[in-house]
Amino acid sequence: MTRLLERPLVHFALAVVTVLVLPLVLRSGTLASEILIFGLAAAACNLLLGYTGLLSFGQGIFFGLGSYAAGLLLLRADLPAAAMLPLVALVGAGTATAVGWLSIRRQGVYFVMLTLAFSQLFYFLAYTSSDLTGGDNGLLNIPRPRIGERVLGGPWAYYAYVAVLFLVLFALLQRVALSTFGRTLLAIRDNEARASAIGFPVRAFKVAAFAISGAVTALAGALHAMLIGVAPLSNIEYHTSETLLIMTIIGGTANLFASVLGAAFYLIAGDLLSAIWPRWLLLLGALLVAIALFMQRGLWGLIERAAAAMTRSPAPEAARPADAAVTEEGRP
Amino acid sequence: MTYLLQILNGIGLGMLYFLLAVGLSVIFGLLQFVNFAHGAFYMLGAYLAYEMVGRGVSFWLALPLACLCVGALAALTEAILLRRIYAQAHTFHILATVGLALAVQEIVIIVWGPIGGNLPAPDGLSGVVILGDFIYPEYRLFVIGLTAVLAGALWWLLEGTRLGAIVRAGSESPEDMALLGYDTRRINTAVFGLGAGLAGLAGALAAPIRGVDPFMSVEALSVAFVVVVIGGMGSYAGALAAGLAVGIAQSLMATLWPEGARLVIYLGMAGIIVMMPRGLFGRA
Amino acid sequence: MLNRRAFLTQTALVAGTLGAPPLLRGAWAADGALTVGAPLPMSGAFAANGKFAALGAAFAAEEAGTVLGRKVVARDLDTEGKPATAARRVQEALAEGTRLFAGGILSSEALVMGKEVTNGGGVFFTTAGADEITGTECNRGTFRWSVPTHGAIAQTVRPLIEQMPQAKRWYTITPQYVFGEGLLGAAKAVFQEKGIEHVGNSYHALAEKEFSGYLTNAIAAKPDVLLILSFGSQSSDTLRQAVSFGLKKRMTIVLAWASGLEQFEALGPDLCEGIYFGAQYWHGIDSPMNKAFVAKVREKAKFSPNYSFAGSYLLTKLLLDGAAKAGSAEGPAVAKVLEGMTYAGLTGEEEIRAADHQVIKNYYLLKGKAKSAMADKDDFVDIVSSGKSFLSPEAAGCKMA
Repeated sequence: MTRLLERPLVHFALAVVTVLVLPLVLRSGTLASEILIFGLAAAACNLLLGYTGLLSFGQGIFFGLGSYAAGLLLLRADLPAAAMLPLVALVGAGTATAVGWLSIRRQGVYFVMLTLAFSQLFYFLAYTSSDLTGGDNGLLNIPRPRIGERVLGGPWAYYAYVAVLFLVLFALLQRVALSTFGRTLLAIRDNEARASAIGFPVRAFKVAAFAISGAVTALAGALHAMLIGVAPLSNIEYHTSETLLIMTIIGGTANLFASVLGAAFYLIAGDLLSAIWPRWLLLLGALLVAIALFMQRGLWGLIERAAAAMTRSPAPEAARPADAAVTEEGRP
Repeated sequence: MTYLLQILNGIGLGMLYFLLAVGLSVIFGLLQFVNFAHGAFYMLGAYLAYEMVGRGVSFWLALPLACLCVGALAALTEAILLRRIYAQAHTFHILATVGLALAVQEIVIIVWGPIGGNLPAPDGLSGVVILGDFIYPEYRLFVIGLTAVLAGALWWLLEGTRLGAIVRAGSESPEDMALLGYDTRRINTAVFGLGAGLAGLAGALAAPIRGVDPFMSVEALSVAFVVVVIGGMGSYAGALAAGLAVGIAQSLMATLWPEGARLVIYLGMAGIIVMMPRGLFGRA
Repeated sequence: MLNRRAFLTQTALVAGTLGAPPLLRGAWAADGALTVGAPLPMSGAFAANGKFAALGAAFAAEEAGTVLGRKVVARDLDTEGKPATAARRVQEALAEGTRLFAGGILSSEALVMGKEVTNGGGVFFTTAGADEITGTECNRGTFRWSVPTHGAIAQTVRPLIEQMPQAKRWYTITPQYVFGEGLLGAAKAVFQEKGIEHVGNSYHALAEKEFSGYLTNAIAAKPDVLLILSFGSQSSDTLRQAVSFGLKKRMTIVLAWASGLEQFEALGPDLCEGIYFGAQYWHGIDSPMNKAFVAKVREKAKFSPNYSFAGSYLLTKLLLDGAAKAGSAEGPAVAKVLEGMTYAGLTGEEEIRAADHQVIKNYYLLKGKAKSAMADKDDFVDIVSSGKSFLSPEAAGCKMA
């Protein structure tokens, strides 16, 4: 059974189950859509963190740009959503290629700091170019997509739209992770020097991982903008990058579905707790410390342990392919 | 004339930035530990000074007390919590300290409320110095003087004492230090406490200038990261030079191109990492 | 066999994590009550405003008791100060049947919520600052109580120019975003009309906390008046640092858009003394409704109502009065009743202008008094003057769809 938990098909099945279960257990279609959208962005973040060993504080850049690009293409260029989405993916991939290409020149903490600096840079750019972005007010009046003549105005109608895209993109991300490309990323993560010595173009692989992650994150940003009807400045803030990382790490970096789990947990816990206690972030803070100390494999690690206990098979040993969250990239 | 004033003002800001960032830098140099909770220690220093002065304690007593309390608290946190994750990947350093910072922020809101408050400059320093067109608050001049003295003392501590030698050697090879029989764990705790204490002192010193509020930690952290990265992680001289550079740049930009102040600072940070990865003064 | 079992376990686990919400949410399900949604920043940087506004809404709900034969409940929805969360919260509340909304302290949130609520068949009443709310982004379901930037400047800058004819040189410090631009544009127009020399302006970023550089610029320009156009904690920071630079003795300092009591409490009387503040509301306003309201709040809640509390109270009350008059709690019906309504409000006679849904009310110029002159701990300021100044709906750019 613990073996089963490693199988990609099972992860995809779990993603499908999530899509089907959310409408049954949640009252709010908006929250359900938000879970899938952030789950997607967290899975894209995981492609960098878990599979390539890159801790990027720049995911908010792509998410925010995706929101803005969606808004501009829908409002100014008057494109339908179906034509807008591929363009947004291109914008995300292009920006991520540039940010990635510059950032991977440095390793470890310096890489983290570089992505942090880029994240601040893009925030101030968005803030100052208020003609395009609406500045602090945000880019307003972003319409919902339409299918034929029907506008997907209701929360659950739009959820269905998001759900289809979510499953398609999740499957694509899985394909990437399972391909030769994905396995090479794992090899780079585990031992960059060796991968380089074998003859892999390590840098090109890392940049490609960035581009794919950026494209998916930007798509998530576009879906989010259509969900709430605005591309807010807060989507490109440093805070969004941080939230996406936290979701990813809470879920665990072992596989892509774990990230969806992390996003769901984060959003649902936040939703429940904030209704009860405005200071709920205190609990979140404590949880993060606890995860760093005791459950570094995140929620997925808990599921594995539970599964192992149930089948009375030994706990998964420590050195499986997608195991350690991030390997040290060498001391700077 | 305006430029001269802006440069002086920038030095004032820069010395505070140095005090805030040097602890972060030294902690990183010795422990290879990325501390996202550094800003929280700065905020605690400010709030402790605010609380003590509000209860009638003299500012001059509150200042060292805030520094000591924050240092002790940080050392305790290190000994109980953080040292357990040194061996982990950076991801978990960041996760734990981000969580810690979040928790501190919420605790501050619970204890002192979300609004923030005012800490008046101490008696005798609440006026301004006027020399012709030159106007500057006495308290800010005092901060420049005090931080200069502290910078000197710290230099002596790191370069002229046994502790400093140990710290420097430790940041190059912790294994050797252990072999030589030094208790690296106690040294780590001491250095962590010292670094956080300095951040607390910076917070207490900044409180009469900018007041206190529960979100000052976030802003302080981003400044500290910029300074540490530009100066070079682990470098004392780098923190000093970069602190001053950032302070002066920020102040001059207020005259030249205010909207772009932040843009320029972060562009500078990115440029430095790409072109000079060890920062201005970082050890290779 | 193993496969199936594994699948079931996992499904159970997933369902277990996700299954809690409806159970807990069940507590919300209202039993025929008339709910007024109060979407407010209960956590985040503006939590202080949110907390008081939530109390104000609850106060109004309790006072109203029963409307349309249904018990009135004010329910606060935490926006976390983020437009995205704000949009989600009102979408959820709309889906659960709530149609009346009073809240939205930040401009970015209020703009989004106005759209969402209107699209969902509700009505949204706000105190947020952005001119667009009753200007270029106005719509059928959105109403605003607070005076726009034009009126705020007219009621602070104009009376001061008349009061101090010798003060010819003004310097401005402006936050660089739409709201700040609005205030600055209005101020420049008044300067030009009155022959005032605008000796300089400093823009600062949204998150700026360190104003010494801008103050140094201001000092170099040798103005007679320093006009601070930032809002919230930033205006407090600017003022605090301006006072530490000794500017209070060298020039008149005006803070055009102050938050009122909550801001004065954070600043303290020593800083406030001698400073001019523009404000939407002050508990010392001499109007019949305000006097009764302040007395009641002091008796029941043991504090003086601040702007967040009073504003939120009035919005909630207006929505409930509207619903009672319309005989319906549906958005379009209530909106129709509110349009053109005049009533005795907190600031005296108030009117909801039909064309752009802007409330026509007073804006106040206040002056900080010495600590020794304060009658009680909340008596920070005197009212210098007050009045109504509004652009026409066309000039404000409102085209109601």
